[in-house]
Amino acid sequence: MAVLTVSDLVVELITPRGVIRAVDGVSFDIDAGETVTIIGESGSGKSTTAMALLRLLPDDLAVISGSAQIDGQDVVGTRKHIGGIRGRSVALIPQDPMTALNPIATIGQQMVEAIRHAHGSLSKAQARERALELLRQVHLSAPERRVKSYPHELSGGMLQRVLIAMALSTEPRLIVADEPTSALDVTVQAGILDLLLEMQERTGVAVLLITHDLGVARLMSDRIHVMHRGRFVEDGDVEQVVDNPQHEYTRNLLAAIPELGAWDDPEDPDHPDYIDPVAETAAPATDPAAEPAAPTTRPEQAGIPATKGGPRP
Amino acid sequence: MRRYVLKRVVQTILTAWFTVTVVFVLLRLAPGDPAVSYAPPNPSSEQLEAIRREFGLDQPLLSQYWTFLTHLLHGDVGQSFQFRQSALTVVLERLPYTITLAVAAIVITAVLAIPLGVWMARRANTAGELGANIATIAGQSMPDFWIGFVLLIVFAVNLQWFPSSGFTSISSLVLPTLTIVVLQVALISRLVRREMSVNLNASYVTIARSRGVSERRLTWRYAFSNSAIPVVTALGTRFAAMLNGVVIVEVVFRWPGVGQLVVDALERRDLPVIQATVLVTVLLALFVQLAVDLIYPLLDPRVRLGEGAR
Repeated sequence: MAVLTVSDLVVELITPRGVIRAVDGVSFDIDAGETVTIIGESGSGKSTTAMALLRLLPDDLAVISGSAQIDGQDVVGTRKHIGGIRGRSVALIPQDPMTALNPIATIGQQMVEAIRHAHGSLSKAQARERALELLRQVHLSAPERRVKSYPHELSGGMLQRVLIAMALSTEPRLIVADEPTSALDVTVQAGILDLLLEMQERTGVAVLLITHDLGVARLMSDRIHVMHRGRFVEDGDVEQVVDNPQHEYTRNLLAAIPELGAWDDPEDPDHPDYIDPVAETAAPATDPAAEPAAPTTRPEQAGIPATKGGPRP
Repeated sequence: MRRYVLKRVVQTILTAWFTVTVVFVLLRLAPGDPAVSYAPPNPSSEQLEAIRREFGLDQPLLSQYWTFLTHLLHGDVGQSFQFRQSALTVVLERLPYTITLAVAAIVITAVLAIPLGVWMARRANTAGELGANIATIAGQSMPDFWIGFVLLIVFAVNLQWFPSSGFTSISSLVLPTLTIVVLQVALISRLVRREMSVNLNASYVTIARSRGVSERRLTWRYAFSNSAIPVVTALGTRFAAMLNGVVIVEVVFRWPGVGQLVVDALERRDLPVIQATVLVTVLLALFVQLAVDLIYPLLDPRVRLGEGAR
């Protein structure tokens, strides 16, 4: 049975400028041990999809319809089940590890909190033992010292390892990884991705990966869905999508990533089409294929959900 | 840490010295002759001269200041013109009344404003929050003397539940405290609401929610703990300000605190009492500020006192 089943999910965001259909009828499912990636540019609705499935969007700003089951439990029709699922059968690995932890509680306190939420029978001391064990599993150096540290004392890469350990601590069936490496240094990214693969191998957890980076998608995924303006425009195996893109948006997306194409960059001074911007006073010509199609609406930038209860004069 | 405290003590002494000096000079620049207040009606110039000599006001300003400073170093702030006793004693006799009022007001403010602000942040954009919003804006817009008079008329004159003036029993505390609390609750609850809104929407709260942390815990252990520094700062600042005498409230309710004292002293040009009041209240206020600063590292591990000063 699939760990996550989503069918015809629609998310409408209520913004000051009107209702935006950020997710417009997407369907997919993920089996145990599988990684499914949603790829798209910012504003395509990929993160909104993930947040909607975890019911982390505020009810007064986001209207969700369609259906979705995590581990067989309905999470769209009702909020009743999600409370019991969060921190137990589903876990989130966030985009920016630097802002993901409570700044005034130690790593250990927050891990113990997560562990005891998932395993209520454990004592504090047992949970602390388990936290250390998990930190060792994610290859964090000197875990005995780190549990006493506060988040600001750790680097982004270290924090992401802590957050992965916290996600694993609950022994989830599904991990939602929302751009897990976007905020990290390039040198750290590979280590975190390796860790995620290793963890998945060991635990057989299903992973929903959200990314804008085809390189990451290619490395991690079994299947990928290309998302554009709230819809999946292309689905399939990674190799198939990358090597033989059917939809124009996918081709644009691929063209926008220099690492994946041939080295054919008109902004390179050695390129035959290169126009010296100093010699040429007019605006340099832009290659339409080098730019992804600009979206007309960008729900992720429309002030959601930061508008909720924001400071008022 | 010792360095930090030492630095703060030196700062405190300098601030107190500066404030007292400014007050000393301003009082002597102000028009009006203190001697007139203490002379019999239609005094002769000899009588006035005699009073000035007695108070030391016949000396040039600099030598008056020098005398004042040297006496101050020995803990002597001068004799009150009107009470004919140490001005410091006069102030210290009144101080407990002001401290009582300030402590009562700040405790009740915290007890009411924090839950109210948290509630408003949690209920953001609902009808209930709108109501609380209107009430707190009204509370912060009403002048305190007016609130004081309304409370006096309703609860002291008409209902006669509480005494109207002075200090006779613990119930005398109710109306002055309430008058202060209305404004302070309005101000502090709005601050709490603002800070809580920011923190409730911070990503660490959303991510903790994804871990199944309960809403109650998210509200208090996560968002409120992270809002504590600005709230404690505001409460500390308000408390320090109240120690300077809640002048208008003390006058309205004839409360025998330093606010009332300083108003009387100004009317009667009792310069030593004014100077003593300023000195004592400035030191108290600075002490409260220091205490607040020392609390910061307990509230937030990222705060290190005195670092960066080296």
